[in-house]
Amino acid sequence: MAGTDSRSARLYRALLKLLPFDFRSDFGPEMETVFHEQHKEAGRRNGPGGVLRLWCETIVGIFRTAPGEHLAMFRQDAGFALRMMRKNPGFTLAAILTLGLGIGANSAIFSVVNAVLLKPLPYEHGDRLVRLRQQAPRAGLLNQPFSVAETNDYRTQSHTLDGLVEYHNMNFILLGRGEPERVETGVVSWNYFDVFGLKPLLGRSFRPEDEQPGAPAVLMLSYEYWIRSFGGDPTVVNKTFTMNDKPHMVIGILPPVPQYPDENDVYMPTTACPFRSRPTFIANRQARMMQVFGRMRPGITVSQARADLNSVAANLQHGYPKDYPPEVDYSIRTSSLEEELTHNARPTMLVLLGAAGFVLLIACANVANLNLARMVRRERELAVRAAMGAGRVRVFRQLLTESFLLGVIGGGLGLFFASGALSLLVSFAARFTPRAREIHMDSAVLLFTLGIAVLTSVLSGTAPALAARDTVVNGLKEGSAQTSGRRRMRSLLIVAQVAVSFLLLIGAGLMLRSFQKLQHVDPGFEPDNVLTMQIGLDFTKYNTNDKQRAFFETLLDKVQTQSGVKSAAATMMIPLTTNMVMTGDFQIEGQAPVPGQALPVGDFRVVSPNYFETLHIPILDGRAFTRNDRQDKPNVAVVNRTAARHFWGTQDPVGKRFSTDQGMTWTQIVGVVGDVKQYGLDRDPADEIYVPLAQSPLLDAIVVVKTSVEPMSVARGIIQLLYEVDPNEPAARVRSMEQVRAESVAAPRLTANLLGLFALLALAIAATGIGGVMALAVGQRRHEIGVRMAIGARPGEILRMILGQGMGLALIGVVLGFLGALWLTRLLQQLLFEVTPNDPLTYVGVAAVLGLSALVACYIPARRAARVDPIVALRVE
Amino acid sequence: MSAGQRIPESPEPLTPAMFHVLLALAGEDLHGYAILKEVELRTGGKVRLSTGTLYGIIKRMLADGLIVELRSRPADSQHDERRRYYRLTPQGRQAAVAESERMDEILSVARSRNLLKKPKTA
Repeated sequence: MAGTDSRSARLYRALLKLLPFDFRSDFGPEMETVFHEQHKEAGRRNGPGGVLRLWCETIVGIFRTAPGEHLAMFRQDAGFALRMMRKNPGFTLAAILTLGLGIGANSAIFSVVNAVLLKPLPYEHGDRLVRLRQQAPRAGLLNQPFSVAETNDYRTQSHTLDGLVEYHNMNFILLGRGEPERVETGVVSWNYFDVFGLKPLLGRSFRPEDEQPGAPAVLMLSYEYWIRSFGGDPTVVNKTFTMNDKPHMVIGILPPVPQYPDENDVYMPTTACPFRSRPTFIANRQARMMQVFGRMRPGITVSQARADLNSVAANLQHGYPKDYPPEVDYSIRTSSLEEELTHNARPTMLVLLGAAGFVLLIACANVANLNLARMVRRERELAVRAAMGAGRVRVFRQLLTESFLLGVIGGGLGLFFASGALSLLVSFAARFTPRAREIHMDSAVLLFTLGIAVLTSVLSGTAPALAARDTVVNGLKEGSAQTSGRRRMRSLLIVAQVAVSFLLLIGAGLMLRSFQKLQHVDPGFEPDNVLTMQIGLDFTKYNTNDKQRAFFETLLDKVQTQSGVKSAAATMMIPLTTNMVMTGDFQIEGQAPVPGQALPVGDFRVVSPNYFETLHIPILDGRAFTRNDRQDKPNVAVVNRTAARHFWGTQDPVGKRFSTDQGMTWTQIVGVVGDVKQYGLDRDPADEIYVPLAQSPLLDAIVVVKTSVEPMSVARGIIQLLYEVDPNEPAARVRSMEQVRAESVAAPRLTANLLGLFALLALAIAATGIGGVMALAVGQRRHEIGVRMAIGARPGEILRMILGQGMGLALIGVVLGFLGALWLTRLLQQLLFEVTPNDPLTYVGVAAVLGLSALVACYIPARRAARVDPIVALRVE
Repeated sequence: MSAGQRIPESPEPLTPAMFHVLLALAGEDLHGYAILKEVELRTGGKVRLSTGTLYGIIKRMLADGLIVELRSRPADSQHDERRRYYRLTPQGRQAAVAESERMDEILSVARSRNLLKKPKTA
């Protein structure tokens, strides 16, 4: 019986744990006695049934009482905490601001990470979508588009895909709405959006009959274009617009989703593209132009799809040995669409999230330190409360409530900061991923913010609360041990802040150095005073080489005579951009193709005669193109220095010949030009082969104009000249070459700026932290300083002593930060250009900046210490 | 120094359970178990308070100054050190009176509507 008794007593005691600590300590023992008597009587009077009933009633009673009691307790603590916060406005403001900045940085970066890296793709079948690439690594081809025949083969032969669609980009001209407008167009299989799992926002998607030859021309608008050009007008559906020479009907509007691989204005079915529709193009297995996306069957993994598609590739190799010669090592690369959309963003976003986390750590350490400093002043209050019967747990909880409130208010401020920075962040993230548009302050961000606000309260509140517990234990006794313990903790927090600041400063410093190096890379041309504009001809009107050639020659002749213009040229692509890459293999005269060995491969560019002059690309050997290099003259080419060395070694390539059609026709090299950073300042130059516009005309070209005045100032005049040549031809992407250059380095520049901002924030917090702690130490040691001065210490010595102590802490922090940085900066490697993660200059510079900041921060309290009047200081005691 | 002190809350309407506890203490000073028994006895077992409910009420009434804990034990009390006795304060008595009067008013309305028999005269 005694066993049952003690068991029920234990059970009842366990049940009481649901009540707040204070309640239990006030009434717990008494409640146990009462329950014991109730239990005894229930058993005696009503047997086990009575006991069971008592238990039920008791459990219900406790569960009903507990929430109210907890709430009452929290309200009481919170009310008190708010009064304390109002009493110390300086501390409260500093703490909330610090936490707000720390939490805000995290919320902001998390909103990006959440939208870009964590959320599933906003397509219904997002996790089943893959992108296919053909590769022939031994021919130097890693990203070959597909031909119609290849697309059909992969579609019919694969077993792991239940949908395979094609895409390519072209441009149309929209007429009849004021000035002609270039419209970027995605040309896609009729079931493209079905495979992605996208339903139109308005209207309908494409149907098989839209893709039949001779079907009425239809198009779908992208959401962005619909908003931008039609103000989101729903009646635009079923309206007809003239694009090039034909009316096209709008059949639907796409929802706002990331567009990949390009941001397009409109989409059309494959029959809209005259090149794609030509029978000769369809029949040619090597006419590769399209990108291909597949949807895996449910339950299939990417590696299963990869294996399956490579077995199709093997079939093709077997069936068409001429198209897939064994020596090029042909295969299929399959990657998930999610990976495609996010891999550019991942390293930067994770680095920024880490940096924001560090800022928060520093903020926590700083608030903990502020709290500890305040503890010194609150010691008596806490001791008195303890003496009046407030338990250790009670005081502990009271202090945690205070930091919880600080955390929550700081979190609110952080959310405010983060939502203010949102539009900036979206444009930043857009440099890395088409998913940027999905960045919002949603429930996940709110939850995350609440989470870190709570975490922050615990981190910044625990140390002071623990310290306060000691105060309570030791009561009103003079506790020198606890004071020194607390001083140690404060010093530790300072060291931590300095160390983490050092890490962040190193990260920012490395990115900045890397960006500087990138800025100083010689691009191989002169970007200043160059205007660029894209002119894509109407392919129905300019349907022959002669018409295309004539158009650009007429236009360039007119532009050359414009005042303020030094020279003008047309090119297939301008440096520092990656669109319109044309790669091809060729045979060098005198070097017979070796069986089993791939032919040399180069990047072909089409340029007009003045191109090299306009961009100041130096002619190293031979000559540039002239107007005599015409269609009826022998084919000529100019190679860059890299190609010359690569293919002709020490020989002079000028006068040598090559063929791109197995020796049927030959092209003679007439000159060698300097290397240009074509694909970005951080990329090595490619093997480039330039051919003249007159011999291989272009439909879509970029006009580059060297000016003697500010380049954008002549833009309007040149567009007028364009309309004089043909009023229905639009100019698009009108930019200066300086803008092109700035945009090409925008991503690293913004990353460096953001990291720099975090690092400065950290430095400011840490420096005020050191200053604050030293000021407090000086205040507490006035008496000691007074004694020292009374026995002959000079102010200079006191100054040095205080400075030495502060700088000692800073030095330990710097050493720890240094070790941490050596280890952590490896993670930055991927983002750095020509800077090693252990770049000595950055380390020395950062140590100097941090040391100097610490020195300034310590100097103010040290000077105050040196001015202590010993008589006053001693009288205080 | 107001930190540790409680500010008495404005009197809120009494719950039925609180009223029962006040009624139990209106007779004599009682300890917790005795209050439970008294309430159960007076209501013929219809109202059975659990320990959680009872001490929630006691805590609140102590805070509101309706009852006090006795420092000394009543003379006839049996010993148990852990037992605490509670006594109605004048304020508590006033609250009980006010609540009784409020109920009485309601009852007289009920009587005037013939919902209740007239009380027997003594």
